[in-house]
Amino acid sequence: MANELLSVPVAAGTIFIAGGGLAAVCRKAKQTLTNEKLPLMGVLGAFVFAAQMVNFQLPLMPGTSGHMVGAVLLAIVLGPHAGAIVMSSIVIIQCLVFQDGGLLALGCNIINMALVPTYIGYYVFRLFSGDGLGRGGMYTGSIVACVVAMEAGALLVPIEAAVSGVLLVPFTTFLYTMLGVHLLVGLIEGVVTAFVLEYLRDVRPQILTGGLAGEGRMSTIAVYVTLLISALILGAGLSLVASSNPDGLEWSYKERPDQPQFRPAVGNDSQVVAAADRLQDRFAPMPDYSVRASEHAETEVGGDRTGGPWAGWTSFAGVFGSLLTMAVVWGIARMLRHRPASRVPA
Amino acid sequence: MHHAHIDKFAYLDSPIHRLDARVKLVATVVFTVFVLLLPRQGVSVLLCYAIWPFALLVLGNVPIRFVLRHILIVSPFIAVLALAMPFYSQAPVSIAFGPFAWTTTSGWLRCAAIMGKFFVTMALLIALVSTTRFADLLAAMEKMGMPAVLVMQLGFLYRYIFVLIDRAHHMLRARAGRRLRYLGPKRELATAGAMVGSLLMHSIDTAGRVNIAMEARGFDGQFRTIRRMKMAGRDLIFAAIFVFVILLLHTVIRPAMR
Repeated sequence: MANELLSVPVAAGTIFIAGGGLAAVCRKAKQTLTNEKLPLMGVLGAFVFAAQMVNFQLPLMPGTSGHMVGAVLLAIVLGPHAGAIVMSSIVIIQCLVFQDGGLLALGCNIINMALVPTYIGYYVFRLFSGDGLGRGGMYTGSIVACVVAMEAGALLVPIEAAVSGVLLVPFTTFLYTMLGVHLLVGLIEGVVTAFVLEYLRDVRPQILTGGLAGEGRMSTIAVYVTLLISALILGAGLSLVASSNPDGLEWSYKERPDQPQFRPAVGNDSQVVAAADRLQDRFAPMPDYSVRASEHAETEVGGDRTGGPWAGWTSFAGVFGSLLTMAVVWGIARMLRHRPASRVPA
Repeated sequence: MHHAHIDKFAYLDSPIHRLDARVKLVATVVFTVFVLLLPRQGVSVLLCYAIWPFALLVLGNVPIRFVLRHILIVSPFIAVLALAMPFYSQAPVSIAFGPFAWTTTSGWLRCAAIMGKFFVTMALLIALVSTTRFADLLAAMEKMGMPAVLVMQLGFLYRYIFVLIDRAHHMLRARAGRRLRYLGPKRELATAGAMVGSLLMHSIDTAGRVNIAMEARGFDGQFRTIRRMKMAGRDLIFAAIFVFVILLLHTVIRPAMR
């Protein structure tokens, strides 16, 4: 997920949800974690980065190579709480140190790539494998867990983008692309995770059974309640935001001005819906402009309004003014840089 | 907590480097919000907003070429989505730019706006992390309410990334030296799985040794640092300049460029 695909309300909402979730997980972890776990979690976070360096050739696709993501493996080895914290820290480091994903998209990325995959992956894996180390359960468990976890995270990306309404790509196209790509990613991830687990079982089984993950398990009811509440909050929050500025989602089924013969896939002509639409038009905080109006509005962008004597000149002035300002800043910085005090060996 | 490859610029010294990490962090977040609030098709106004990250980078002695190369490396995901836009919005738009005028589609405008916003916000983020040491950034985040467990986790993670990446490189070289041909899908995946597994064991052992060393030095679950974070006069000046710039951009330049 990237900054530019999000609107500010969605970014703020997801950061709020991610922050709240992370704070709850941290509080939970603080109760159950002992001091010697802290270095272990940190080093395993670094391990995920290193494990992503280990690439392998993909079957059926010569010339391409893949690597693993590691969320489900971490959750299996460390347990869901510690796993979620470690994965979140990885996402934060990816944002801050490697600049992968934006600062405002951090909330989305923590939800999509850390919180959702670790919890879902862990519980799906346990569902299949139980507490034993049977080979069949381990293989099916890790493959199903990785696929489900990846798809759950991938599902959220188009939803967040559609609610923000920045992207013009139709929701369904984006959704199917994301789900398709991540089905493949999840399958491969699952197979590699299974191989890793099998290796660990043969070489050092106490990693899988020795209680690294054993402490701090929630009861099943608590899990379902948490999932339900977060789904409700997410749904309510997203629908509130969605009603105030729909774009991508609505565009995909309302009408297509570029294709007059387009028939909406979803239609509802009942009086109630029409009345609700009128109600929404009247009370929505940011009433929705119609698609046609927005196409007209676009004539004024890029430069300025095309009419009038000053057409295009303010943007012209703005661009050249900006370039000039940058040149001045650069010149000042050069003069400052010649002072010996600011020379420090790299 | 330092590795030569990534954050070498964070260890330079400049007026920007000397600012308090909290001020820089808040300013970065606020500025990013204002960039995202820009209209979805406005392109030329983005260049005015680009002045701020440009000024930070130049005053912070960060080479612009390094920044541009880094942004290109992380851009593929957003570039694919942005380049898909022209296919979905073909409405013609006429643009006037100074003495020039031409016609394009609104999809291309949106594509350009998204890429422009991406460049500005990424340049700003790079300006933040390449003028602030990671330890200071962590301390700032802890002061601003991030849970201590997570801060500690980030500190450890940052400390050990490069140790373990070196280790992974050794293993990759060993595999390259022994594997002379493609072994078939099952053997390939099993080999990769075994490598990851042994890397995991190595990591757990390393963590055990780190833990023993830390216990021996009296670690009780809390980090104590000598560095005190204190706001100075220059931080206030920076904050004032930032507020002035953002107000100027948002209330004067942005409406004028519409």
